[in-house]
Order: sequence, then structure tokens, then C-alpha cells
Amino acid sequence: MTFEIPFGPQHPALEEPINFMFEIEEERVVNVKPRLGYVHRGIEKIAENRNYQQLVYLSERICGICSFAHALCYSQVVEELLDLKIPERAKFIRTIVAEMERIQNHYLWLGLTAKEMGFETLFMYAWRDRETIIEMLDMISGKRVNYGMSTIGGVRRDIPEPMIKRMEESLNHLEARAEYYTKVCTKDPSILKRTVGIGILRPREARALCAVGPTARASGIPRDVRADEPYAAYGEIPFKVVTYRGCDVASRMYVRIDEIKESIKIIRYALKNMPEGPIRVKAPMRVPEGEAISRVEAPRGENLHFLKSNGTDKPERWKIRAPTLANLLSLCRMLMGVNLADIPVVIAGIDPCIACAERIALIDAKTKKLKVWEGKDLWRYANEWYRKRYGL
Amino acid sequence: MRRSEIRKQLRIRARNIIVQRDRRFFVNIEKKDLKRAIRRLMQMKNYTHLSTITALDVGSMIEVIYHVAFTDALVSVKVQTSKDEPIIPSIVDLIPGVALYEREIHDLFGVEFEGNPDLSPLLLPDGWPEGVYPLRKWWSVDRVLSKLGGKR
Amino acid sequence: MVSEEIWALIQIFLFPGFFFLFFLAFFTEWVDRKIVAKFQNRYGPLHVGPKGVLQPIADFIKLLSKEDITPRMADKVPFNLMPVLLLSLAITPLFCIPIVGSNALVSFEGDLIVIMFIMSLIAVLVFIGGWASTNRFSTIGSIRAGLQLFAYEIPMNLAMIGPAIAAGSLSISKIVDWQIHGFWNLFIQPVGFAVLTISLMAHLQRVPFDIPEAESEIVSGWIVEFSGKKLALIRLAKDFEFVLASALIVSLFLGGPYGPWYISPIIYLAKFFICVFILSNLRAAFARYRIDHLLAGAWKYLTPLALLQIFLIKVLGV
Repeated sequence: MTFEIPFGPQHPALEEPINFMFEIEEERVVNVKPRLGYVHRGIEKIAENRNYQQLVYLSERICGICSFAHALCYSQVVEELLDLKIPERAKFIRTIVAEMERIQNHYLWLGLTAKEMGFETLFMYAWRDRETIIEMLDMISGKRVNYGMSTIGGVRRDIPEPMIKRMEESLNHLEARAEYYTKVCTKDPSILKRTVGIGILRPREARALCAVGPTARASGIPRDVRADEPYAAYGEIPFKVVTYRGCDVASRMYVRIDEIKESIKIIRYALKNMPEGPIRVKAPMRVPEGEAISRVEAPRGENLHFLKSNGTDKPERWKIRAPTLANLLSLCRMLMGVNLADIPVVIAGIDPCIACAERIALIDAKTKKLKVWEGKDLWRYANEWYRKRYGL
Repeated sequence: MRRSEIRKQLRIRARNIIVQRDRRFFVNIEKKDLKRAIRRLMQMKNYTHLSTITALDVGSMIEVIYHVAFTDALVSVKVQTSKDEPIIPSIVDLIPGVALYEREIHDLFGVEFEGNPDLSPLLLPDGWPEGVYPLRKWWSVDRVLSKLGGKR
Repeated sequence: MVSEEIWALIQIFLFPGFFFLFFLAFFTEWVDRKIVAKFQNRYGPLHVGPKGVLQPIADFIKLLSKEDITPRMADKVPFNLMPVLLLSLAITPLFCIPIVGSNALVSFEGDLIVIMFIMSLIAVLVFIGGWASTNRFSTIGSIRAGLQLFAYEIPMNLAMIGPAIAAGSLSISKIVDWQIHGFWNLFIQPVGFAVLTISLMAHLQRVPFDIPEAESEIVSGWIVEFSGKKLALIRLAKDFEFVLASALIVSLFLGGPYGPWYISPIIYLAKFFICVFILSNLRAAFARYRIDHLLAGAWKYLTPLALLQIFLIKVLGV
């Protein structure tokens, strides 16, 4: 017997609204259909009515967790159109904040995945350690999320000497914790039972479905924008692209934990070799006509911004491709044949950020005449609709 | 990657390849050559994946840009189609991973991708009217506001 | 004569009867929450009463005052009856367990069998409750509850029979009595103790085996449609089940209470909270298993181990 199970838009395993319609056969998934559109904010349309400086802030609000990656990507794309050369120190600070954001995101992910496995204790531990990195970001930027660090022409705040000292202490603590999590996640039998061999995405499939970020790297594909197309200061910093060949949720976990360690090394190197100098240059309001593309490795994968300017202070078209949209098809592939109990773990495995994936839509104007509905009418409408549809 | 390599691989005129800067190439091609071009780009040795598809409203035409990623470059293949009859061959059979990008553009620009089996709405709500494509230029914010009877 | 009757009434309603059991249930929930919170680096309940000790009671009263919804499509009679039955079934066996001295309030030859029967009935009730709410998630949850019953019931009952064979009686009071005059069963049958603890975790649907109500998968499974008073009763029943599980371990394996009437409850409670500590500790240390993991594990390891224990008792005569 197959029956359909809706998963979302509201579901405790999802932090954000997305809908998956699963066809289940004896607790096994035989088909899955994703449906987006629950958190559209129309950012790409809004962008056509804002000037370039305002868009820095808008870009940070595409996603709450990888906000800096989007702001960085946007700043880079505008700088390319303006032909701005940003100071070296700004590049290093950008790299540091981007890596801190990656650490923050990966700890968050580890906690959430543990929660989907029903391992509450690990969830609490991971999130407590995430607090350390968030406090560091708070110290540098003044905010815990949406740091407001990147701007067109550089960064907005410097990292002075006393902060570097405190950051090094925190980094030591975080590195020790990352080692501890490696130990836990490779040894604990209940974690291994829930992750090894679950949500398989073979390298060939990952290539065909254009997977990006840790999802691709856990399938053994060394796809990393930081290495392929160095931006900010990545060209000057040695680091290795972490890959695992397990193709399952466990590999995605190990990739992320190892990336935390790698990020800590990058931050240490950058702090040590950060050149002195100004942190930003002045950017003009008007942007000359042209097209530019910028790619950034966000914590979740490749971020792509395309910008077409028309010579005014507002863009002609700003296209954003967030990593989750690229990984959504891979996710559907992973979910095929998976046990119902493993669905949350597999979905968490790609680290979905729904708000990133969908930015475009408008207020529903389907009826020409506008009707303002009160809560009561809406309630009645919903009830009638369901009665008609399901014969309740 | 160099301009000459792309030219040789795609067998097109050099003036159709614009080198914007190091690692950035824009290639203008005809609609009918799209599939062949993508296939030939995929055969090049540093090909990694297709990053995304961008659509643009450029007056009477809709421009669709395929961002093909290589480890050492990003080649953007540009195709144009008219607004009256926006049909473009789908490349979902070459790269299955573009299905969602094509659906997104179909939703927001109304471009028909010939050969894509599933072009149902991905982002727009059920019951969105036919022939209304929110990211085309005529669908401005002022227009929405006037419809809602509100002010900016 | 009159005073004896009053004494009996006090025993039934105050101590160690209803009143005591209710507070024991709430207090156990608080202890459980505090211990798990400590393991998880949290505070746990803090605000109601000293160190939040009254929080479970506050939760219970709050739930009682909330809106009680019966889904339109639900099978009304079983849906409404289920929480009441669940609560009464969860309390009943507690009267068979000796708390003061080695004699329980209700004690007869074969009350161990009755407890086993009631514990299976509870699982069946959970299945009926989930099924009657006709929600997709609760349907899956109740099917899982039924499957889980197949996994843990047999090893659990075998592990409970072990002490009975050793003591030569099917009455819990007599088993306790036998242990007071001999050894604790924990030392004679360590394997049986381990099997019983694990099976009880599955029976209680606590974390490694909270498969029927896995909140991140099926939105708390069979409970999902219950609200207000029904949910309050179900949660209270779950507390009682927890008390019952700890009490069973104490009585069957840890020797139960002994000593004069003013000492024995204290000794009993000390042992009782050691069991609570063990069960809470296990809850904090694992990720959730899948239903197929549990079924395979139960039939591959738990059942053979329980049989081996009984075999050892018979052969060695201990």
C-alpha cells in the first residue's frame, strides 16, 4: 500500500517552510516531490528598485545563517563592475569573517542533525560551542547574526590587536571541541547506525545533478570555489579541500567537522599574516553599464550572483543562486528508497536553507479586484475548501 | 582556459566570445545551437558543473544565460528568444541538475523549455494566473501597489 | 475493628496509595528532567517552586485548562476513552508493588502475570489511541508502537519471569520476601537485569527507543492529535509508567524495601531513585534507533540473552 505523507511546510524537522510530498510504501520512500514558495520575499524584484548601497543590506538578509557569504558575493560583483581595487587588509578580514561564519554554520548543522537523529545531548553540546564563535563574531562586528561587515569597497570594521588575542584563545577551544566531535561521531554506535549508508548520493549522480559544497565533497568531488576560483585572500592562504568518499550522511558529517578544523587553520594563518593598511576605499553611487558574475563558497556550497547594471544607481537585474537550490535535486535523489525514519536526517544532510533558495515572488494578485479578508472569513474559506476537497 | 580553446571547441566566430576578464567568458550563440554548445562545453577537460541559469528581460527579447563552471573559468552562454514566442530547447537531458532552474525561469519569465517533462509551478502559488510573469519588466512594483490600492 | 478500616483507607488513599503515588510520579518526572538537563548542559525546570520541583504539576494543571479538541474524523469513543484507560491501567499495577515492608497493598499469587498483562495492554491501548485519531502521523506512530511491542515484550517478560523462577513464586511480594532472606537478584541474574532495563526503555518509549513518537520524524507520532485534558492524562500516565518501570526493577532485582515500617520506604525510595538515575542516564546517552534496528536487536540479542538467563537459573539452580 502506498500512501502520501506531506512533509512540511510546517514540520518540527524543518527550520523553514518547504513542502515535500512523499509517497511511502511500508515506511520506504518511493517518490518525492518538492514544492517551494512559502518564504518568498521578492528580493530580486525589490532589488530593481533600490540603489547599490541599500542592496548591501538586502543581500545580507537573503539568508540568516550564511548572510556574510551573500553580502561578500554581492560586494564583489559590484566592485568588479566599478573596477575597484580593495585594500589587502580588507581582503583578509573578509576571509576571516567568512571562515568564522563557516564554523558557526557547521556547528549549527551538527546540532540540528543530531536533533533529527533524536540525539538531544549532542544537539545541546554543539550549540553551546557555537555560542563561542558567535560571541567572537559579536565582538568583531557588534552583531551575532547579519554582521554587516562587508560593504562595497572593503569592510566596515577593523580587527584590532586585543581582539586577535581573544580570538586565538577561542580558536584553541573550538579546535579541541572539533577533535572531540570527531571522536564522538566516528565512535558512537547509535550515530553510526543512523548515518552510515543513509542517503546515498553517488559521485556520478552528484556530478549530473550539479551538487555543490559539502554535499558534493562528501561524494568525493573536490568542488570548492575557494580553491577553483580564489576570491578575497584565499589565493594567498594554504588550505586543503576536504573530501570523503562515503557518499552518505556520515561523510557529510565528517566533511563538515573537518572543515571546521580547516577553517580554524585558515583563520589562524590570516590573523598572523594580515597586512596593515586601510580597510576600505570609497565607492561611487553610480555603476557603469556592464555585467558581472561573482562566486563565493558559502558554508552550504557555491553562491552565485549575477549583476547587470544600466549606468544608473539601481541595478537592471540581480540574479542570486543560493547553494540550497543547487542541492535540492540531489536531495530528492538521496531520499529515494530511504526509510521514513531517516527522512529528517537526510534532509538535514544537505543543510537546506529554504529562504536562500527562493527569493522571488510577489503578493498574490490573482483576482483583479482586491478583497480584504478578515481572519474569520479566511477561517471559513479554509474550512469550506477542506470540506469540499476531502469530504470532511 | 583561453579564448581560442572555446572557439575551437564550439566552432564559432571569435567575435561571439567576449573575454570580460581573466576566468570570465561570455559566449553569444543562436538558440538552435544551444544544445550542441552545452554538450561540447561539457566535453572540455576542466568542466565541473552548470552553476545556474539566469534569465533577463531585455526589451522585446528574453535573454537566457547558462553559467557553465570550469575549475579555471566560468563560461556564460547567452541565448536570446523573443517575448512573443519564448521557446528554448531544454538541456535537462544533458544535465539533469538544471530541472529546477528551468522550472524557476518558466515560473518567473514564462520561457517554455522544450523537452523538460515537468514545468509545473515551483515557486509561485497554486492558482497563479496564466501569462503573468513577475520578473518581466512590465510587472513593476508600482503596478502591484496600484492593484493593491496602497501607496509606497 | 474501626481503626483497622481507617488504617486501610489511609493506606489506599494517602500512603502508599493514590496521594503518595501521584506525588511520586510528578517528583520522578522532575528528577528525570533535571538529570537529563544536567547531562545536556542545561538547567532544566527552574521557576515553579524551589529549583522547579513543582513544574510537572504546573504543566499538568496548565494542560488541564487548555482547549480539548477531538478531530472531526477521529473514532470518537476509543479516542476519548483511551487517555482515561491508559492512566488507570498505568496506576493499577503500582498497588501490587510493595513499598512499606515486604507486603503490597494488593498481593496474590500471580500478580506478576497480571502486571505483564497490563503492560501489554498499555501498548495495545497506545496502538488503538493512535489509530483512532486517524492522523497520518499518528497512524504511523501507532503502527510503530505495535511493532515495538513485538520487539520488547518477549524479552521483557522472560526477564521478569527469571526472578519468579528463582523465588519459586509468581507474587511480587513473595519475590521481594525471598530476596530479603537471600541475595538480591541483581547479583544472581545480572543478564536478566540488563535485558529488563533495555526492554523497559523500549516499553517507556524513551530516547533510544522513542520510535513511536519520534518528534523530528512523525511529529510525536501517536500523541499528535491529543490535546488539553487528554494530553494531560496521557502525560501523567507516562509518568506512572516510568514509576512502574523503576519500581519493578527495584522489586524484582534490587530486593525491594526491608526493615521496620519507618525505614523501609526510605530504603525503597533510595533504590527507586537509583533506577530512575540509570534510566535517565541512558536517555541522555544515545541517538534514536530505527524501528528495524530495534526489531533486529531485540530478536538477535535480547531474547536469546533472556532465554540464556532462564536456562542458567534452571541448570545452576540459583
